[in-house]
Amino acid sequence: MLNVLRAVLLLLSLAVLAPGAWADGQPANKKLTVMLDWFVNPDHAALIVAQEKGFFVAQNLEVELQTPADPNDPPKLVAAGKVDVAVTYQPQLHIHVNAGLPIKRIGTLVATPLNSLVALKDGPVKTVADLKNRKVGYSVGGFEEALLKTMLAKAGLKVEDVTLVNVNFSLSPALLAKQVDAVIGAFRNFELNQLDLAKKPGLAFYPEEEGVPPYDELVLVANRDQLNDPRLGRFVAALEQATLYLLNHPDEAWKAFVANHKDLDDELNRRAWRDTLPRLARRPAALDEARYKRFAQFLAKQGVITVALPVSNYAVQLPLPE
Amino acid sequence: MKGLGRGLLTLAGLLLVWQGVVTLGELPPYILPDPLAVAVSLWGNAGPLLGHAGVTGLEIVLGMLLGTLLGCGSALALGYSRCARRWLLPVLIASQAIPVFAIAPLLVLWLGYGLGSKIAMATLVIYFPVTANFYDGLRHTPRGWLDLARVMVPGSRRWAVLWHIAIPAALPALGSGLRVAAAVAPIGAVLGEWVGSSAGLGYFMLHANSRMQVDLLFAALLVLAALAVGLYFAVDASLKRLLPWHSATPETTETD
Repeated sequence: MLNVLRAVLLLLSLAVLAPGAWADGQPANKKLTVMLDWFVNPDHAALIVAQEKGFFVAQNLEVELQTPADPNDPPKLVAAGKVDVAVTYQPQLHIHVNAGLPIKRIGTLVATPLNSLVALKDGPVKTVADLKNRKVGYSVGGFEEALLKTMLAKAGLKVEDVTLVNVNFSLSPALLAKQVDAVIGAFRNFELNQLDLAKKPGLAFYPEEEGVPPYDELVLVANRDQLNDPRLGRFVAALEQATLYLLNHPDEAWKAFVANHKDLDDELNRRAWRDTLPRLARRPAALDEARYKRFAQFLAKQGVITVALPVSNYAVQLPLPE
Repeated sequence: MKGLGRGLLTLAGLLLVWQGVVTLGELPPYILPDPLAVAVSLWGNAGPLLGHAGVTGLEIVLGMLLGTLLGCGSALALGYSRCARRWLLPVLIASQAIPVFAIAPLLVLWLGYGLGSKIAMATLVIYFPVTANFYDGLRHTPRGWLDLARVMVPGSRRWAVLWHIAIPAALPALGSGLRVAAAVAPIGAVLGEWVGSSAGLGYFMLHANSRMQVDLLFAALLVLAALAVGLYFAVDASLKRLLPWHSATPETTETD
């Protein structure tokens, strides 16, 4: 009994002490931990190139990039003070902040939507309306349903007209195995190439062409209590440099991208790289408030979030170092 | 009745520790919601939670049935055929060594996003404990009983010995296997739902997680835990009733 008590007390003290210890022990040195949204892929071009080409070091930053097990985790880890910056998606940012997460967008990596509704080109689905009574795979509850609902509405269908299946990010396999007729959440720069290479080309429907207001697919978030940290401005400035380098020297940038990621040096990533470059945010720090506001209103109207908060609650434009 | 009281006391203690961690740690609700928020969420979503629990429960029960049938068949084959021992035993061990988590995505692609893949995963998870325990029981039939059979019914057939002596003697061991199976079968079913589904508690938890409804996630977890505990006690109680000769022995040796 005494042992049990001791174990419980130990666990309790650990649970109580751990979060505090994390929040306090954050010295304002040059080290910065950044958690990606997913395994390294061309969406992270600016981050990887900034790392490999020394743009972070030039800003006196020692950046450590980490990969999560689940793309829903990184913003929570920023909220809990376990990492400094996380890569996440603009729609998730709205959902997270409405749920009380103390995070704010500080930069943009990819400034257009990437998410798309994809079916197989040689399959029965030729238009969105063909989805009636068919199965649609998705991975992110809430937002992706709202996307689909909007796209279906434009084609005269209701969300009840399709069967939704959570395929938990196994998008291409689900489509190729014909377990679903279409997937929402497929990235146009990645999954479309993946399907193409599997000799089963996909047919993409783009949300922003089907009634969904445009948004930033990949954004960078930080804890709102740490926005005065000068490292963040230097971090975004380094990304600006890296993005311009990417545009000016695409071949050298590709070499730098695969230098330490040999597993990425394949046809799929080369194609994805080509399709991603035009979508990278040219001005990573810039915040388009009207666009964020419009998107928040869309999410609120769709019932994904309860209320469209003021943009300043969840996004900032950081002062850049001189 | 005494057991129920003890269970409630444990539950109250756990809730107290939970609330304590939340209060003392000043944990925000997205890290760990407090018990009250979870209770409110549980109450407010009772309908959908029950519906999803029904799906998961069905997967578990069907997986249990299939796994038990397969496991019993395999154990009998192992016990009575040298050939089976040679060929089936490595398969049996491999079935336990391969992490189901690794092949779950494939199973879903082969069997679809419906009930099939979840039942397959629950079956896979319980196949080993059922087979291993039952096989163990079959191998350890008391020597004296077999000798007695030979003396009393000279020339008795092998299947008769099996049916009347070896299997009844091995049933308590099978019972242990089934108890383990009842405790782990929910893991298989929820794992299957986690990989891809449109219904079930695992699906509901995934959904709640991506919408940041952590209280709802915990509510679903509680329902799942209740389902698993309920299944375990149901199996335990029916085993006690069906195998009275087994439960009689350990009860008397238990000291309190």
